[in-house]
Amino acid sequence: MPDTMTFTKKELRVVGTRPVRPDGVPKVTGLARFGADYSLPGMLWGRILRSPHAHARIRSIDTSKAQALRGVKAVMTSADLPEQKFEYVGPERVAVNFWHMTRSVMAREKVLFEGHPVAAVAATSKTIAEEALGLIEVDYEVLPHVIDVEDAMKPDAPLLFEDMITRGIEPAPDRPSNISKRIELKIGDVEAGFAAADEIVESSFKTAPVHQGYIEPQACLARFDTDGQAELWASSQGHFVIRALSARLLGMDIGNLRVYPAEIGGGFGGKNVPYVEPVALVLARKSGHPVKIVLSREEVFKGCGPAAGSIMTVKIGIKKDGRIVAAAGVFKFQAGAVPGSPVMNACMCAFSPYDIPNVRSVGYDVVSNRPKTAAYRAPGSPISAYAVESVIDMAAARISMDPLQFRLKNVAKPGTPTVWGPKHAHEGFAETIRALMQHPAYTTPLNKNQGRGVAAGYWFNNGGESSAAVHINEDGTVLVATGSSDLSGTRASLAMMAAETLGVEFDKVRPTVADTASIGYGHLSAGSRTTFATGIAVVEACKKVIGNLCARAAMIWDVNAEDVVWDGGCARYTGKKSGEFEPLSLKAIAVKKSVTGGPIVAEVSVNAGGVAPGFAAELCDVEVDPETGAVKVLRFVTAQDVGRAIHPSYVEGQLQGGAAQGIGWALNEEYIYDEAGRLTNAGFLDYRVPVASDLPRIETVLVEVPNPNHPFGVKGVGEANIVPSLAAVANAVSRAIGQRMTELPMSPPKILKAMNGGR
Amino acid sequence: MTSERVASKGLSTGARCPARVIFTGDFSDRYTGSVREFEIEANNLRGVIKKLDERYPGLGERLEKETTVAIDGEIHEVDYSQPVRPGCEIFFIPKIEGG
Repeated sequence: MPDTMTFTKKELRVVGTRPVRPDGVPKVTGLARFGADYSLPGMLWGRILRSPHAHARIRSIDTSKAQALRGVKAVMTSADLPEQKFEYVGPERVAVNFWHMTRSVMAREKVLFEGHPVAAVAATSKTIAEEALGLIEVDYEVLPHVIDVEDAMKPDAPLLFEDMITRGIEPAPDRPSNISKRIELKIGDVEAGFAAADEIVESSFKTAPVHQGYIEPQACLARFDTDGQAELWASSQGHFVIRALSARLLGMDIGNLRVYPAEIGGGFGGKNVPYVEPVALVLARKSGHPVKIVLSREEVFKGCGPAAGSIMTVKIGIKKDGRIVAAAGVFKFQAGAVPGSPVMNACMCAFSPYDIPNVRSVGYDVVSNRPKTAAYRAPGSPISAYAVESVIDMAAARISMDPLQFRLKNVAKPGTPTVWGPKHAHEGFAETIRALMQHPAYTTPLNKNQGRGVAAGYWFNNGGESSAAVHINEDGTVLVATGSSDLSGTRASLAMMAAETLGVEFDKVRPTVADTASIGYGHLSAGSRTTFATGIAVVEACKKVIGNLCARAAMIWDVNAEDVVWDGGCARYTGKKSGEFEPLSLKAIAVKKSVTGGPIVAEVSVNAGGVAPGFAAELCDVEVDPETGAVKVLRFVTAQDVGRAIHPSYVEGQLQGGAAQGIGWALNEEYIYDEAGRLTNAGFLDYRVPVASDLPRIETVLVEVPNPNHPFGVKGVGEANIVPSLAAVANAVSRAIGQRMTELPMSPPKILKAMNGGR
Repeated sequence: MTSERVASKGLSTGARCPARVIFTGDFSDRYTGSVREFEIEANNLRGVIKKLDERYPGLGERLEKETTVAIDGEIHEVDYSQPVRPGCEIFFIPKIEGG
């Protein structure tokens, strides 16, 4: 491990301050270029024909009339994409099956959900493209469909894949089902644990699929040269991953595709995989023109994956003193039209905040006639935490113990085993609960019809592959280029770490996100990894540049390089040679770059490890209108161990955003289907995300227990705090109405029903 | 079989304090005949993976592609150069992706 990957406690000049973000002005003046903002001469507009049915066999597709329409330059179907081998590739938890992926991008034998792409056209105008879609004739054999997870698991459920045999069961079942996979994690003796318990609490829960709700729809521009070289401008959470997946789906070499990262208007996990990019590339290849595709909001809801819905049962056994001695959870997740829900994450994270000797987590990944689910902030963990933290709350109430004290009594510490194997290695869990207990909100009195809920949650955080290049310009300014999409102000954080390491002012550092031909590989900006992993690459590159600068200073002074150190943004001579050796600033050395060896550049790539997990604890106060069942969130406090906040404002923003999304998930948001399996609320008027007037000012508490494996102590902040939000709201509502709410969203009709004894 | 642990002594070369290598039940069911625990002497992850691959041909590639590793609870990407301390616990777990 390089020395720079070890945290050292010292006074910092830039890290921890709140400078204006370097990408801020273009964004607030409307000049930032998002996915839809790119155009090229001769550009065509691409549009996608989508299935009107939830489940149907495609007997035939006739595109001849569309192709004959004046202005139409290309029409595509799945026949224009190569067939992919049926195999699960990569880690079981996030395994990719390209046979499924190509069918998600464009239906083949069957359509599996309403909105499933069936064909696409490229034309000289949007109007002509739209008209051409109406001329494509698809002959469907409509099939029975299934939407909800419990229905999809029934033995007589309509099958999406007639040959799907459940993985993870020995011996393998002898008949197909919609259950793609069963997983089981276990430590200790669960039955003995429950037998030793003084109290056992058990309940079942249900959550609806919810969309990430990013403001910017999927959009891209593609061009294809006749020599097979292609370029793509796209908004995504990882242009290197979009490049790899798109190239695979088209059957082209990765080296023949160059992807330029557009600004991204929100992703939250929903832009980790390609939707429109392979379609635009095929249309560009067929037409010989650049092709732009911009999805409508309705298409985003119907075609681009939401988070999974679920049904869950959680049971815990406790002693009278509040110790949890056993826990068991069964988590059944909707994967959507093809396998791949985050149920393994759910099983792994569910009980991880706690020290429980006997635990069993069982998960099921179930397909149904909905769009394929996509990741959403700490994918899987908020869902299972809703069930677990609700039962934890019930257990604390059963023995009349303060709910945060109950959690603190059972909190995981370094050395506590997890249900997924390793022992916890980091502090921060107990500190976060204590921080929330000490917050004034926790002891503020409540009034009639009001309730207070608390909850805690765990997320792994992530490291992985990142690259960074640092260029010193001749005027002493610094360019920091990385391959990591900036979803959340990471350019600012990376520039701050560079300024801190080099000893220069923040405004002398210009951070940029480089395209796939201009920097080494950078994995997705997902998993709360960018500030941690790419930050390590940036610091490593700065250290390399500093070594180079010291060597050049030695050349200028004609001294030995080992007698030069970098301190306070200057090279300083520490040897015994007499003479004038005034410190040389970065700028002074940069001016002499030509005579000291040419450009001053360092590029570093890392596969960053030493990740420390995120832990969050939250408090929510609500008031329930007993006549309408409407919930008003009065106060919300979110505390998270962030390791070290590089730019506290952006960390607070991440926590506030996570809480806002969690409140929407808990109270309002859901996909609503009609009897034909068609989504009826595919727009922001009917799919109700919380807006500013729905929310109180979300108060943040940044707990800083540094990660010893990062030069500035970073742990990662983008996901952990949405984990407890659903449960915090549910526990608050349950206390306000005196009834346990076991289904999300807690819409007014459901609350009224609960208040009226189920009527 | 997730809680079953079967020690395999076949991979140790007699070091005084070899690393303890553990797989998840799912992984060991698929690739090592449900053997979950091994004692391995190695200086880094390359050595660990190499010795496991010698015992179970093809396993090394699976480990590299499919897993993340927790060394004494601390999570790292599978990287050959990652040091392995004598007596440490190495847990190969499914690779992590987030949102």
